[in-house]
Formats: sequence, C-alpha cells, structure tokens
Amino acid sequence: MAHNFKYTVKALALCALLGFWRAPACAEPQQLTIWAMGAEGKLIRQAAEIFEKRNPGVKIVTQAIPWTGAHEKLVTAVVGDMAPDISQMGTTWMPEFRAMNALQPLNGFLPSSPLDTNDFFPGARESNLYKDQWYGLPWYVDTRVMYYRTDLAARAGYKKFPADWGGFYEFSKALKSAKDGGYAFALPTNDWQIFLMFYWQNGGELLKGAPLTAGKFEGTIDYLKRFFDESLAPLEGGNDTDQLTAFESGYFPVFISGPWMISQLEISKPQLNGRWATAPLPAGQRRASFMGGCNLVMFRSSPNKALAWKFMEFMAGPEMQAKWYAVSGDLPASRKAWNAPSLAGDSRLAPFRTELDTAKAPPQVPEWENIAGSINDAVEEAVFGRVTAGAAREKLSARIEKILAKSGRKQSAAFKLTLALLLFLLPVGAVVLYLCRGPRAAAGGKFQPIAVLFLLPAVLILAIFLFIPIVASFIASMTNWNMYGVNDWTKVVFVGLENYFGLFGDPVFLAGLRNTLVFAFIGVPVSVTLSLAMALALNAQLLRAKAFFRVAYFIPVITTMVAVAMIWRWLYNPEFGLFNLALGYVGLPAQGWLSNRVLALPSLILMAVWKGFGYNTIIFVAALQSIPDSLYESIALDGANTRQEFWYITLPMLRNTAFFVIVMTTIGYLQFFAEPYIMTGGGPLNSTMSVVLYMYQQGFKFYNLGYASAMAYILFGLIFAFASLQFRVQKKLEGNF
Amino acid sequence: MAAVKRYSPAYKAAFYAFMAVSVIITLFPFVWMLSTSFKSPGEIFTKHPTILPQLWTLAGYKNLFAAVNMWLHLCNSVIYAVSLTVLSVLFNAMAAYAFAKLRFPGREKLFALLLVTMMVPGQVTMLPVFLILKSMGLLNSYAGLILPGSAAVFAIFMIRQFMTEIPEEILEAARIDGFSEFAIFWRIMLPLCRPIIATLTVFSFIGAWNDFLWPLIIMLREDKYTLPVALASVNGQYNTDWALLMAGAVVVVVPAVIIFLMAQKHYIKGIAAGAVKG
Repeated sequence: MAHNFKYTVKALALCALLGFWRAPACAEPQQLTIWAMGAEGKLIRQAAEIFEKRNPGVKIVTQAIPWTGAHEKLVTAVVGDMAPDISQMGTTWMPEFRAMNALQPLNGFLPSSPLDTNDFFPGARESNLYKDQWYGLPWYVDTRVMYYRTDLAARAGYKKFPADWGGFYEFSKALKSAKDGGYAFALPTNDWQIFLMFYWQNGGELLKGAPLTAGKFEGTIDYLKRFFDESLAPLEGGNDTDQLTAFESGYFPVFISGPWMISQLEISKPQLNGRWATAPLPAGQRRASFMGGCNLVMFRSSPNKALAWKFMEFMAGPEMQAKWYAVSGDLPASRKAWNAPSLAGDSRLAPFRTELDTAKAPPQVPEWENIAGSINDAVEEAVFGRVTAGAAREKLSARIEKILAKSGRKQSAAFKLTLALLLFLLPVGAVVLYLCRGPRAAAGGKFQPIAVLFLLPAVLILAIFLFIPIVASFIASMTNWNMYGVNDWTKVVFVGLENYFGLFGDPVFLAGLRNTLVFAFIGVPVSVTLSLAMALALNAQLLRAKAFFRVAYFIPVITTMVAVAMIWRWLYNPEFGLFNLALGYVGLPAQGWLSNRVLALPSLILMAVWKGFGYNTIIFVAALQSIPDSLYESIALDGANTRQEFWYITLPMLRNTAFFVIVMTTIGYLQFFAEPYIMTGGGPLNSTMSVVLYMYQQGFKFYNLGYASAMAYILFGLIFAFASLQFRVQKKLEGNF
Repeated sequence: MAAVKRYSPAYKAAFYAFMAVSVIITLFPFVWMLSTSFKSPGEIFTKHPTILPQLWTLAGYKNLFAAVNMWLHLCNSVIYAVSLTVLSVLFNAMAAYAFAKLRFPGREKLFALLLVTMMVPGQVTMLPVFLILKSMGLLNSYAGLILPGSAAVFAIFMIRQFMTEIPEEILEAARIDGFSEFAIFWRIMLPLCRPIIATLTVFSFIGAWNDFLWPLIIMLREDKYTLPVALASVNGQYNTDWALLMAGAVVVVVPAVIIFLMAQKHYIKGIAAGAVKG
C-alpha cells in the first residue's frame, strides 16, 4: 500500500505543478500589444522603439506570428476574446474580421488626426473602407509586375518589354522560338490573383451589379487560353517548377511577381544580375495590377484605444512609411513617402510605382476567400477546355451568388438553447444507455474497484477535451455557424440536416471523398506491407548495427514537413527533378508529377508512404521482441524453414499488433491532409483534394464551421464503417475480441 | 537464443545491398536538409544541385541564432515535450492496464466507445477545446498546452494490444505474492512492456516536439513559443531564407533523433518470454 500512496502523491504533485505554471497576467495601463506576422513581426520592434522614445511611459509588446497559422491564431484569439490591441492584417482578410465584429471602426479618430487619408493609393484605401467607415490603416503595399530576362528578350529582337496585350502575345511567340526548350511565360492555371489582373485589364468588374461582366470574362479566358494552346505556357507542370531556377535556365523567361522577388533574385541568383528587369504589366483596355500588402487594425476589445490609434497614425504617416521601407524593404502605401530618394531613384521600383496608381483590391466581401477558390476552379476548368468560357462564367456566377446568399432566418434564443440542449443530450444519453445496457457484472469475474483509479486520469481528460468537443461539433454540424456567428451567437441558427444534404451535392466534396478512398485503398496495404517487411529485415539475425538502420528508417517520420516538402518538390520538378531525369535516361517523356490530374494523387501517395512507413515499422519492431525464441527453437527442431517460421510463428504472433497497425493506418489515411495541403493545395482540378483538406478550408479559411463539422461527421461515418469491418474480420479470425 | 544460422555469402550480399538501397532512400532527404543548411543562397536552387555544398558556410546557423532566442524556445519545447511524454505514458499505460487486465463492468463497451471517438477528425474539435481551456483559465499556460494531449486513445489502444499478450499467470503469481495492483502495474507490467512503452515515448515526444498549430494558438506571448513556432515566425510571407530554415530543421531534428536512439535500446528480445518461463 505504501507504494500505491507514493505514486498517487507523485502524480498529484505533478498535476498541481502544472496548474501553477500559468503565466501571470500583465495589465499595465500604458501598454500596447501588437501582433505582426513573420519578418515584420521581428522588424516592428524597431518602429516600436522609436514610438516608445517619443512617448515616454509607453511600453509596446510585440509578438511575431508565423504566417503559417496566422489566420487560425487570429480567429481563435477573437473567439476567445484574447485579441491584441493592434494587429497586422492581410488586405484580403479585412472583411472577414469586420464581419466577425472584431475590428474597431476608426472614423471617430480621423477628424482630429493630422493623417491625410487621400495620400494613400486608391487600392490601399479600398481595403480599409467599408460603407465610408475606416476599419484599418494601410501599412505597406505590394503589387505585381513582370519580371523578364533582358538577354533572352534581346535575342528575340525586343529591347523593350511590350506595353499591351497584343504586343505581349507576339513577344511571347518570338521569345519561345528564340530559345530551345521551355516556355515563354510562367502562367499558372489556378491563380485567381493573376487571372483577376488580366480580367480587370480587359475591363471586367467583380460584384458590381452582376457577379461577373459578361463578355469580359470570356475575352480574358480566350486571351490566356491561347498561351496554353500554343505551348507558350504549360497547361501541366507549371505550378510545381522552382521559379528562380526556371528563370535562370530560361525555361520560364517571364513571370509575374511582387516586390519581394527583387531581393530574392539578387540573393539567390547573383549570376543573373544585369540580365533581368521589371516592367509594368501589359495593358489591356486599361491598366490594372493586383493590390496586396497589409493593414494595421485595432480590435474592439482593446482597452487602450486612444494610444492604439496614436501608434497606427504614427505607422501610417509618410515619415514612418519611408523609414519602414529602409527597415524592411516593404513598399509605402503613402504616395508622399515615395518621394524619398531611395524609392524614387530605383529604376527597378519604377514599374511598381506605375502600377500602384491603378492597382485594384478584390471586393470587400467577407466570403472573398471562398469566392477566390471558386474563381480558381472555374478558370482551371475553362483553360483545360473542359467547359467553354461562357459556360464557366455562368457556372461561376451562380456559385458566387450562392456563396453570397444570406438566409434571413431567425430563431429565438430559447428555441436554440432547447435544441442545443436536446442535441447535446442525444449523444450523451445514447452513450450512457449503451454503457449501462446488458449485464451489470464485470465480464469474466468479480469487479475490481481499483480499475476506476487506473482509468480516472485518462478518461477524465478524454471526457473534457475529446468527448465534449466532439458533441459540440456534432451540434455545430446542424447549424449555419459561419463567420458572422463566430463572435456572435445570436446569428447562429439551426438548419437541421441541410449541411449534410448540401455536401452530397457539392462536387468538391465528392471529389475529395473519392480521392480519400483511393488514397486509403492504395496507401494502407502498401504502407503496412512495407512496414512489416522492413521490420522483419531490421530484426534479422544477419543485420549488424541495428540502431543505425532503425534510426535511418525512422528519420522520414521525424523530419519536419517543411524540409520534406522542399526535397520532394525538387524530386518531382518537371524541368530537372530526379524522377524526370530517370525517365529521360530510359527515353520516356517528362511528366508533371504534381500537376497532371492522373499522376498527382499517386505522387502524393508515394510521398506519404515514404514519410510514414517508419512509424509502423518501429511498432512492428517492438512487437517482434515479444515473440519468445522458444517458439522458433521448437519449430526449428521440427525441421521448419524460414518461410514456415514466418507463416506459423511470426505472423500469428504479430496478429494483435498487425490488427492495431491496420486499423490505425486506415484511420490515418482516411484523414489524409498534410501532403495535399503543403504540396498541391488540392489541385489540379481538385484531383488531390481530400475530405480533411476541404474540411479545413471550409472551416478555417471560409469559416463555414457548421458545414465543416458536417463533413467531419460524414468522414467519421466512413471511418467507423471501415473500422467496424476490420474489427469484425479480426473477431472472425480470432474469436475472442 | 536460437541457434545462429549460417547464410550463404550471396544471400548476405543481397541482403546488405537491399538494406543499403533502402537506407539511401530514407536518409537522402535528411542528408539534403543537412547539406542545404550549410549552403550559400546561390547554391540552394540550381538545376544541378550537389550533395555537398561547394562552398561551406555557417551563415544559415548564424542568422538563425541571431533571429531566434534559441535557448528560451528550446527550453519551452523541452518542458512541453517532456511533460507531455511523461504524463501521457503514465496515464495511457494506466488506462491500458485497466482495459487489458482488470475487471469492471462495461469494460469492452467503454473501450469500444473510446475507439469510436478516435475516428472523429481532430480539426473540428480544435475550436471547442480552445474555448473549454479559456473557460478553465488555462490559456497561455503549460497546463493548457499539455493536458488535452496527455491522454490519447491511440496510445491506450496500442499498449492494451501489447498487454493482452502478457500471460495472466504472471499477474496471478504476483497477486498470490501479495503485490497490490499498483505494484503489479509499476513493477511487473511496465517493465514487461518496455518495447512498446519506448515506442510510445518516442511517438509522444516527437508529436509534441514537432507540434506547431496547437502551441501557436494556446501561447499568447512570444516568450512562451516552442521551437517550431519560433522558427516559423522568422519567415516572411513571400521570402524564405532556406539555409536558415534548414538549419532550424536540423536543430529541431537532432534532439528527436537522440530520444529515438535512447528509446530503441529498449527493443530487447525475450523479456516477456523469459518471464513466462520464470
């Protein structure tokens, strides 16, 4: 008993210790908390120090948020009421957070401020203004221009970059024939930003009266499609090239990018210096580039609004804007700041300055991310020739209207509360009934009360952090919970099974379902067999230096996805990747491994198997240790050979483990996510979209949380069906589960 | 030990050739990562990359240590990964023992229920868990970071599968000798389960060590960031310093490899087998 007590005390002490690790809250009156992303998150310290010097007694706490995950971080902070005073915010995110009612309206501060809002570029103003109310101030801008190889252009007979659409098309044809191999222009098939620039240039408008301008959309598609049809740009294999190297080799002598590319080219490709230049985008009926960049916003929850405004005003003014360019290289949103000699004198920046006057921001609707995704799909379908340009426009218009449609449904708080309670009690009651039904006595003998103590910590944690959230998301799957309701429960209404019915009419979801099944059907058997084979090899008596080989097989599992993705991208590179080099040796044509609709999914399966097989291998290795040698000795005495040993001893003894591994791997593969998320984003044409990736996009990019939850439950049903099947098979094989 | 078998030289050669090829395939990206971390920017993206840098440079590491307070974030990561591993191994092994060897009503049903919860994709529960932690006042704390992950159905299932293989006779003998259930668990079951506990330790540690989104969301101050979060914060939206990124990946992977090397020593043959006989 003394032992029991000691361990209980230890466990309790550990729990208590964890509880005390909470950070003390900081709440000084003159303190501002500012979040900024990535490199800006570190550099903003320098601006904060200038501000602190000018305003004694003020302390600014800056926090750098990684760009990956910044969206999720901001949403959870708003929902959890943990937002900072000020945050950097991407221009396309503004409407969503405004819709969540998270942003402080700023018009009240403007009259008494020295800030001249007319000094900002029109496109930069647009992303902060909604119905004449300011919700943020521009911090820095970026816009897109052409990067081109001057030497190759000269070879094609061009001293200057063409100024309009017709000229650019002729230029591309001349450029392609003036060099061997490769293409003229890196034109992605699924980049809504690039499509929109051409569409705007062609005179098209978005969400002005109609969702799209008839004729202008078709004209843009026709113009771009010519580049693909005449092999001036690749229909497949364009999205997975390494842009810098393709620029150097001349594979892609022209591409569209933002200001960050200048320093990137200088650092990564110093040997190219003097052989490339920037140019404004060729004009269509008018000039239009894409206005990107970031704003600074104040959250409604900020307790120091006056001070927060003072800081925002400081950052947005022309003086600090010019200074910020020196600190970070970010382009100023203030026109006056562009008079600084460092900006005005740089010839490579001049095309950016030209574009900034007319650059446009996407429409200020909260559903923009969702619309942008639909634009990608529509453009891709049209340039691949699956539908006509006219049909693509009609389909896209209908889709946009559906996304923007709002239901005016209202339900009383009492009704919602009752329904939520009922929906909560339904699964909870079912579980209680399930557990209490049947014989009360413990199977196989008397009840050992000590079992409760053993179960308590794990079951308690699972109940709070797994079971309750699962029930909560089940309730959510019956609601229209979206970004308007993220921060405001009154806007959430129950819609019954509408989300579930909607999913079965959603082509993206159905594609995701199909791909997920293919992925699991191929991936699971391959992965498990490979793991078992490798575990047996690792366990072979013959093998020396076992530790080394074990580590080697496990390395892919522990290597971070970022590094893995970088290397696999190179392996799959259509221009010079290892796979295409190998095909070249045996005389086969090069393939677009990640951009071919048929090949993309198998390519991801290969990568997933490579990354994951070591995981199951070490489970098998661990299990192999528990097979007693005496069994092998006795069968050896009977004259059995190695193969018989495997079939009669090893495999039956691994049955429990193999069953576990198969069930777990199936569950894991049906939740296929990381590979398409990082490698293809679900493309091309949704050929690598998976259920969990789509769920993630709907939930965390578009905030259709109800819809995403419904998706999770359909997937759950699928996994449940597979797992039950496996359990049934196991029961039949064993008869004792 | 079984009698040492004799293999023909041809068989040996084929076996080692196979092992060599498979190791090259699995290790290649790791070597690549290591070599990239020592390359200069101009060498990283080229048409014909070399395995070894042509010009070795420590710039990636220097920039990394200048941009990130390495020791602070390393410390945070160690606290997170070690506490999570210790707690999860303890809690999950305890629950697994109850499911495998103790008798209580509804045992199979409760276990089946746990398995079912594992099938709900984790992404949908993130927001509810965040709100629950907020209501408990555990945001921005290690408790909030660690507790939700300290019990995992996957791990309970894995250890239980292993424990059911252990013969009941061993436990009966111990009970006759007057061992309490806790003593049996601690002094008999855990040692017998060494290979699987070692495996689970590795999984828990690496899961927490590489975890990104959860620590980012829970920790509201930069000085509480774990290493992967701090490393990811260095990158710009469009600009990536690949040498720095790969140097960071190397720094993150080294402790994980060490943990694995330590754990795999426990893959020792025949403990369970010996115990059955004795």
